[in-house]
Amino acid sequence: MPAPDAAERLLNLLIALTHAPLRMTRAEIRATVAGYDPVDDHDDSETARKRTAAFERMFERDKDDLRRIGVPLRTVTDATHGDEIGYVIDAGDGVMPPISLTAVERAIVAVAADYWQCAALGTDARRALVKITSSTARIEEIPVYLAARSTAGVDAAPALAQAIADGQAVQFIYTSASSGRARRTVEPWRLVVRGGPLYLVGLDRDRGEPRTYRLSRIEGTVSPIGERGAFVAPVGLAGVYLTASVPSLTARIGLRAESGHALRRRGRFLESKGEWDLYEVQYSDTDSLRDEILGLSGAGRIISPLSLAEAVITHARAALEAARA
Amino acid sequence: MPEPAIPRLTRLLGIVTQLEEYGEASFDELARHFGVSREVIKDDIDTLWVSGLPGYGTADLLDFDGYAYEEGIARLTESLGIRQVRLAPAEAVALMGALASIVASGAAPAAAEGALEALRAAVEGAMAVTVVGAPPADQTAVQAIREGLERSLAVVVTYVDAQDRRTERTIEPHRLVAVDGVGYVECFCLRAGDFRTLRLDRIERAEVTDEPASTPRRETEGFALEAQYDAEITVGLAGRWAFEDLPGVSLKSVGDELVARFGVANPDVIVARLLSVAPHLRRISPADLRDRLANAAEAVLASASIPEDQ
Repeated sequence: MPAPDAAERLLNLLIALTHAPLRMTRAEIRATVAGYDPVDDHDDSETARKRTAAFERMFERDKDDLRRIGVPLRTVTDATHGDEIGYVIDAGDGVMPPISLTAVERAIVAVAADYWQCAALGTDARRALVKITSSTARIEEIPVYLAARSTAGVDAAPALAQAIADGQAVQFIYTSASSGRARRTVEPWRLVVRGGPLYLVGLDRDRGEPRTYRLSRIEGTVSPIGERGAFVAPVGLAGVYLTASVPSLTARIGLRAESGHALRRRGRFLESKGEWDLYEVQYSDTDSLRDEILGLSGAGRIISPLSLAEAVITHARAALEAARA
Repeated sequence: MPEPAIPRLTRLLGIVTQLEEYGEASFDELARHFGVSREVIKDDIDTLWVSGLPGYGTADLLDFDGYAYEEGIARLTESLGIRQVRLAPAEAVALMGALASIVASGAAPAAAEGALEALRAAVEGAMAVTVVGAPPADQTAVQAIREGLERSLAVVVTYVDAQDRRTERTIEPHRLVAVDGVGYVECFCLRAGDFRTLRLDRIERAEVTDEPASTPRRETEGFALEAQYDAEITVGLAGRWAFEDLPGVSLKSVGDELVARFGVANPDVIVARLLSVAPHLRRISPADLRDRLANAAEAVLASASIPEDQ
């Protein structure tokens, strides 16, 4: 029989472990599952050692691959077999149920699978689509006139999703505005998408407090550390760290006619004075109101507080200087 | 190059599951369903047919009806109990996070929420991702645009642009798109006489007309948010946040400075970002951005310096 390719070997391993009465040891797998290189008694000891090492590497990778796609592969030890480690897949566990989707729903799911432009999540999304496709009825596709794309750099997402599911802590290098570049040890609770960027909410072990991390600021790989099931993520907390705080400050602003519609909707009209409509708006973040007024390119101005009005002028002057440098 | 193992294994399990759940299928049907060629499906069936239990005798293998196979039909007669597995955590985050982001953008039809609900059954345990929606677009307006799309009719919209200028225009919608969680409509704008991409949350009102659309829909038009030119901005490190989430941006730290390179789709949006981090700006190119920034800054200063009691 010619050597089967990796997908065939994985399939044969999956079938063998699903049907193993109790478990299969590494030796049994190597000797019987198609695609592995069985022990050859004619090998000299050096060749035998090399071939065994190659089998071990291949089997480790195959085990990881099966687990990565969600196959419930379990490790079992059996005292009557000298505590040798064995492997088994629990048939029935983790099986995809039939999914009922209308033609429109199916078309939308296909659009979603193309959403991520970064390699890591893109691969996972397309694999998820194949799985969903497996369990949905064959129906004619219909056009939905919809397309979607994310440009966020979120390569850390798959590793974090796995760690959240496993309840396992992670380490990564992170750069923040306040603390610079440092290694963080985090109990990951939840990923949060807000608009484009992805965030991780979790417990920062060194600080002993929950923190929010932007995935685009994570450098390199995310390494799981410690035991699985080391913590339980609190339920329903993720949003707390991302929702905007309640507006508690008040500003007076002027808006030219036919402009500043977002501010008009949020604010309270006071009076019209010359070319300016005066409004009172509540805000929580000084910087965002400053940026909003700057973005109106002169169609809006701050009247009070004075510090905010000055911030607008400082920024505009700095911009002028940089533009003319 | 041979196909990587994991995607192929996923499809192999998928074909077995599909045939078990929904009965025999022609190779062509399976090819359409899984979005691959007929040859790929045939290779997959050939592989499945010789896979099975150790021993690999006739009774140990996955089995198909040989006569049906000759007719180009996959009729599974022995599955060995093999089934597709549920979504792994990363797969669930990737697909459902994407779907939820599209829903949050307001660009998706109402059916998207039904799809999201149906998909939850495919996930083992709790979802590891939450999507926080932006302020929603006016769904009555989006509904009118969708009706225009589906019936190929022009739509009159009231639109507030990035500079907060309000205009009424007639558009021929071609496609709804969600980019980074924000919904847009790609359309032909009769007022501009050109293709335009309008943000859904800036459309205040939309009404379908009886006028049939006159411009052919451009399937290959792609995202009208494509870059017009490349920009290179040097800022102090504190200005990093304004650039790090720009589409396709490359950031390079040089000493205490950061060089951001990116494609500019809408110069007005970039000018607003530059104003936000103005005190940290060092160098800006090309000249078009410098000019626009200077004009905007001058306009801000002219308004800001007007005394209150004029």
